[in-house]
Amino acid sequence: MNRPMHPPSGHDFDQDLARALASGRDVSCPGFADRAVQAIGADRRRRTLLRWGSGLTTAAACLLAAFVLQGGGDDSLAQRADALAASDESRQLSDILGFVDELSFLTPAIDPHSVVDALINPEL
Amino acid sequence: MSPEELPPPEDEEDKRLMALVASGDDDALRLLVHRHHVRLVGYLRSEVGSQTTAEELAMEVFIRLHRAAGRWRPEAKLTTYLIHIAHNLVLNEWRRRGRKPTTALDSAPEPGDLSHDSARRVNELDEAFRQAVALLPPEQRTAILLLVQQEMPYEEIAAVMEAPVSSVKTWIHRARTRLRELLKDHYDPA
Repeated sequence: MNRPMHPPSGHDFDQDLARALASGRDVSCPGFADRAVQAIGADRRRRTLLRWGSGLTTAAACLLAAFVLQGGGDDSLAQRADALAASDESRQLSDILGFVDELSFLTPAIDPHSVVDALINPEL
Repeated sequence: MSPEELPPPEDEEDKRLMALVASGDDDALRLLVHRHHVRLVGYLRSEVGSQTTAEELAMEVFIRLHRAAGRWRPEAKLTTYLIHIAHNLVLNEWRRRGRKPTTALDSAPEPGDLSHDSARRVNELDEAFRQAVALLPPEQRTAILLLVQQEMPYEEIAAVMEAPVSSVKTWIHRARTRLRELLKDHYDPA
């Protein structure tokens, strides 16, 4: 491009521009159509998988929601939570835990030999 | 519709093929790609300067065309639609590169017969033009390529570039002016 030269006779700028660009207009690519069809097929399969994956995820979410809501609504869940907090079982558990604490407090005062004597001698 | 208003037969064939593609006909798809890929790759090669990148982008154009086949309405020529997709991909490519594509083509498409001096000079001048076009700003380059290489009317160029016709005319005028500056040595020898 840096080397000056005379353009071919009878040519002008616009003609030269048109000829230069037209020479690059059509570019042959052997096998392109087959490769393109393969790539499009792969894209189609990928999108099909994505659609199925999305559908399965949605279905799983719906099933989970149905399972959770099967036990009743939010009011029911709240009532069950309150009932559990006020249940006797939890109170019994607290009692048991307290008793265990007392046992733990008393354990160091027990003499192992006295326990053995008591087992050997029933009069004690 | 009068005979003068009838679209060219090529457009009718494109419409027929697109309808078949939308219904899943792979033979029609192959034929459609075969009809348009040579020119599409030529345009993309002129834009990005690389045969490999041009083919990759052309592949992506046809993938997107296939995805849109069911929604495609033949309001515009298929060639215009393809170039529109290609132009958007070129813009993405420029953004991905992080710079404007100012590199020249990786090689001349056809060397021609170098045994004759006049043919050699023509080839050199063609190469000088292609390198000068590669140096243009992106909008000017695209506009001049679509006008001169793809022989599109201003309205179609405006549709492809999503710009007013007046802007297209401005870009083309500036492109010609810039090309004359870049190639002045070839036309005003000292």
